[in-house]
Amino acid sequence: MGLVENGKMPKPLTALLNISRKYSLWVYQWGLACCAMEMGAAFASPRYDVMRLGVIPFPASPRQADMVVISGTVTDKMAPVVRRLYEQMPEPKYVISMGSCAHCGGPYWDSYSVTKGVDQIVPVDVYVPGCPPRPEALLEGIVLLQERIASEDMTDRWTRDPIVVS
Amino acid sequence: MTDVSNRNQLAYIAAQASDARVNVEFETEGMTLNLGPQHPATHGTLRVIVKLDGERVLRADPMMGYMHRGYEKLAEVRTYPQVTTLVNRIDWLGSFANEVPFILAAERLMEVEAPPRAQWIRTILFELSRIANVILFLGDMGVQLGAVTPVFFAFRDREFVLNQIEAVTGGRFHPNFDRIGGLKDDIPKGWTEETTGVLGRIRTFCDEMEDLVTGNEIFQARPRGIGVIPAEVGLAYGLSGANIRGSGVDWDLRRDGGVGLAHDQVDWKVWTHPDGDSFSRYWVRLQEVREACGIIEQLLGGIPSGPVMAKVPRIIKVPAGEAYVETENPLGVMGYYVVSKGDLVPFRVKIRSASFSNISITPWVLEGAYVPDVVSILASLYFILGDIDR
Amino acid sequence: MSSPDTNLDEVSEGHEPVADPARDAIVASLADQLGDGLVASEVLAGTDVWVRVTTDSWLATATVLRDTCGMAYFNFLSAIDWMPSPFGRDMDAQVDLVGADESQVDPEPMTWGVTGGATRFQMIARVHDPVCHIGVTVKADLDADDPRVDSWMPVYPGADWHEREAWEMFGITIVGHPNLVNLYLPSQFEGNPLRKDYPLLARRVKPWPGIVDVEAMPGDGDGDAADEGGEGS
Repeated sequence: MGLVENGKMPKPLTALLNISRKYSLWVYQWGLACCAMEMGAAFASPRYDVMRLGVIPFPASPRQADMVVISGTVTDKMAPVVRRLYEQMPEPKYVISMGSCAHCGGPYWDSYSVTKGVDQIVPVDVYVPGCPPRPEALLEGIVLLQERIASEDMTDRWTRDPIVVS
Repeated sequence: MTDVSNRNQLAYIAAQASDARVNVEFETEGMTLNLGPQHPATHGTLRVIVKLDGERVLRADPMMGYMHRGYEKLAEVRTYPQVTTLVNRIDWLGSFANEVPFILAAERLMEVEAPPRAQWIRTILFELSRIANVILFLGDMGVQLGAVTPVFFAFRDREFVLNQIEAVTGGRFHPNFDRIGGLKDDIPKGWTEETTGVLGRIRTFCDEMEDLVTGNEIFQARPRGIGVIPAEVGLAYGLSGANIRGSGVDWDLRRDGGVGLAHDQVDWKVWTHPDGDSFSRYWVRLQEVREACGIIEQLLGGIPSGPVMAKVPRIIKVPAGEAYVETENPLGVMGYYVVSKGDLVPFRVKIRSASFSNISITPWVLEGAYVPDVVSILASLYFILGDIDR
Repeated sequence: MSSPDTNLDEVSEGHEPVADPARDAIVASLADQLGDGLVASEVLAGTDVWVRVTTDSWLATATVLRDTCGMAYFNFLSAIDWMPSPFGRDMDAQVDLVGADESQVDPEPMTWGVTGGATRFQMIARVHDPVCHIGVTVKADLDADDPRVDSWMPVYPGADWHEREAWEMFGITIVGHPNLVNLYLPSQFEGNPLRKDYPLLARRVKPWPGIVDVEAMPGDGDGDAADEGGEGS
């Protein structure tokens, strides 16, 4: 995908690729704490049903994933593992940080063992706040990310501000 | 589909399964298998290092701490009302149940007692969180043995329970509703009728599980006879909840604990199973969900009237002293040893969480097991990472 | 076998010291078998019992409790650091204590809880009788400079992880434990977090945000300075 990354693709082809990526986001579920259950509710429960959005939550390994949802408390012991998993994912890749703990430490802001923010370790595209966020909030974050992907130009991929679901 | 009541047929299936395991001893090279820290079977971030000889486990070492958040230290710098916010998140599937023993310990030190109405509503929410917790186990147990459907059923019906908890507490997941001396609020109008309807759904779910999972031939064959924990070993390791009742120990703190909950006001039964294997732990939990439905139904019929909050000072200072209160939480015995020095903050809170002790038996129970059984034994012990690592 | 219901009634009927033969019997048999090993005991009739033993008889206590008193169930094992926090009481403080010359502050005297104590560190463990439903809390004072105590693993194998936790969190050497390695924290972690003199660094660099909430409510003329505790009311 070197051409895409360099922004050398013809515009219609880029648009086509963007649409394709938008509706086939393979998401790796990186469930760490309480938020993992709300993520599970969003991804596995018939009520919220994430697959209607074109998001497939079943990659067997991060090497097959386009997007990762980091949901829950990242501890200092876990942080290197998070980094390694992120590095295993192929480009282009997106990160959703779910829940207060992943953003900034949340209720454990003063703990001795919690990493205060997963954005210290990996770049984050979407912040979904809440403790834990409702499944609807996570779906909203995914929809907003899809909108961004639809109009994405790889040359300014890293210059944009992250999305904050509010 | 197997007839569950037919013991002969079940024994035949179990014998077939165990025959299949008898294999000739070959010279094998040891192998180390690393489960986790991110593995679907580990409900989060437990890591188990398994040393194998062929298919047989020689030694299993769980490595935890990937979710250690330092509750005991953080509780020392938070006021008593703030601690409940924190401890909600220990066992995140049955959040309300985490608050109860801490509040009861603080109440014992302050020598206040919640009004009867608060105790009844507390018990109802306590049992609702048990349902919310355990039905996910029932679905998940199927997943660990290769059946994906039950977990969708579990997530489907769990939503209704969460809705009811949300209707009372405002929190779908972490209610933070329990207060020293009572509850934050009363139940809303019409809630009891809705809850009765939800209990009907849960009962149907249990019947579905019985048909779909318990009656399944594979499920009858695989978890039986593996991960057997004798009662005295389980007691020495501090196992609790359905894990110890699955080993035939008739001990349930809801009946035997005598703390301030309304379980003694209603008629219910403690289920035990004599086998002590993976299947018995699953079976006991299934019966406990049904029993919890019965408990809630009876309690809903007779909630006493009155206030939901006793008279407590606005600024809560707990008198100096020590108290240990434990309750029968969804995962097992959860207790808080609270040491107070008369301040706004506890001096020391020792959290005795159920999963920590439950999972500490894994090196013992996994030794000699076979690789495919490792996951189902771990699943049947049922742990929540937040409850192990705290 | 005493049923818990009768226990409850005993408590609620009055706060008079009620006789509690079952718990008294446990203390009596401990005193009988340990002799001078039993330092102090306290029975809260119908509710709980605490005993304090010497460090040397820590393991013997476990054996007596399991074999004589029927305490088959191992509940938990941990430790308490009785030293008052040298950083002050974070939640009470109206100002952040960062930068305060800590050597100037008079250290608060050490006080102990039920059945008292003599040194900074105290082991605490609890076992339970799953038939009579009685739990016993056992305590033992440890040396303040070099806290060490025998392992309970020969008696209760479940003490394994609890003792590793105590070693990691308090720096208490467990004599006879085969595998004292970190349970929770990364191997390069320094310090023993649950010791009272272990600082929570996030709090040292940033005052507790809750302090800003103690401003008086509008119209609430005599603003109480310590309102942050009133959240639960």
